[in-house]
Amino acid sequence: MNTRRHLLFSVTLGAAALALVAHILLIFLATPMAQPQAGGLAQKIFYFHVPAAYAMYLCGAACFFGSAAYLASPSEGKNAVARGGAEAAVLFGVMMLISGMLWAKKAWGVYWVWDPRLTTLLLSVVIYIAVVVLRAFTGDGDAERKFAAAFGVLGTVNLPIIHYAVQKWGGNHPTVIGKGGGGLAPAMSRTLGFGFIAMTLVAIVLLWLRTRLALQVASLARVEEEVLALDPTDEDAAE
Amino acid sequence: MRDAQTQPNADTRTPESRSTEFVAVTGGGETSSAEVLLTSAYALMWIATFVFIFLTWKKQNQIAARLGELDQKLRAAQPKA
Repeated sequence: MNTRRHLLFSVTLGAAALALVAHILLIFLATPMAQPQAGGLAQKIFYFHVPAAYAMYLCGAACFFGSAAYLASPSEGKNAVARGGAEAAVLFGVMMLISGMLWAKKAWGVYWVWDPRLTTLLLSVVIYIAVVVLRAFTGDGDAERKFAAAFGVLGTVNLPIIHYAVQKWGGNHPTVIGKGGGGLAPAMSRTLGFGFIAMTLVAIVLLWLRTRLALQVASLARVEEEVLALDPTDEDAAE
Repeated sequence: MRDAQTQPNADTRTPESRSTEFVAVTGGGETSSAEVLLTSAYALMWIATFVFIFLTWKKQNQIAARLGELDQKLRAAQPKA
């Protein structure tokens, strides 16, 4: 079972690496530049910015399901998924914020505006950072886990608000794809579609890594308790 | 060449005009270069990803080492029990 899982992980990792390389080649060799109002050459940030946002939603969804399931019936696996989802969501949120700010500098002339979508998105990233910090600094007891899980649910409830903020409240953030959007040139759509596939694979790999890490941390705590029970004088295990 | 296009004629400028009017120019330099912004965005995104993977790898190594250490202690303690 472990060998099969290891093989599946290796295949996913290889596919993610190949997809990323192919995505970068597609962006720079096969995708035309956009109009100057969209940022011209800087618009190529879009092909990572949007898939990063989508990957944050994916990891946020994993955090939500892990957290909600943990609140319903606690288990190590559910806690690990909730924890891994929040950590990966922070990474993709940071990627999206960095890329968005640099693109905005070119397209809007400023790094940041308090636009509804940007503000709700920042709020979500801050909530996921709060979940990660809470888990890192408050111990790993059941109460702390439940509190972090409640935060994880809250962070994901905000995600649909981000998505519809631009349609409901307007703002500077463009709506190119989806309802009300003007669409993309076919070559641009192809590259963006490929970006979604590549980022899905990266999100799966990172979620897998962080979930496995969270499970290992839990195993370590359990073994340390066993050692302490056998030898209460063991100072290393008691730490 | 660009200086000649962007700078108004020095002889016609007065201290008053410097603060009360804007002069249209052609070919003025941009405040932010698309190349620099694009490169920075990609570099920062990949640095963030690699730091994340490195920290995960480092933590996993620490846990594996600690688990091995504790496993040895458990094995050593079992005959006593």
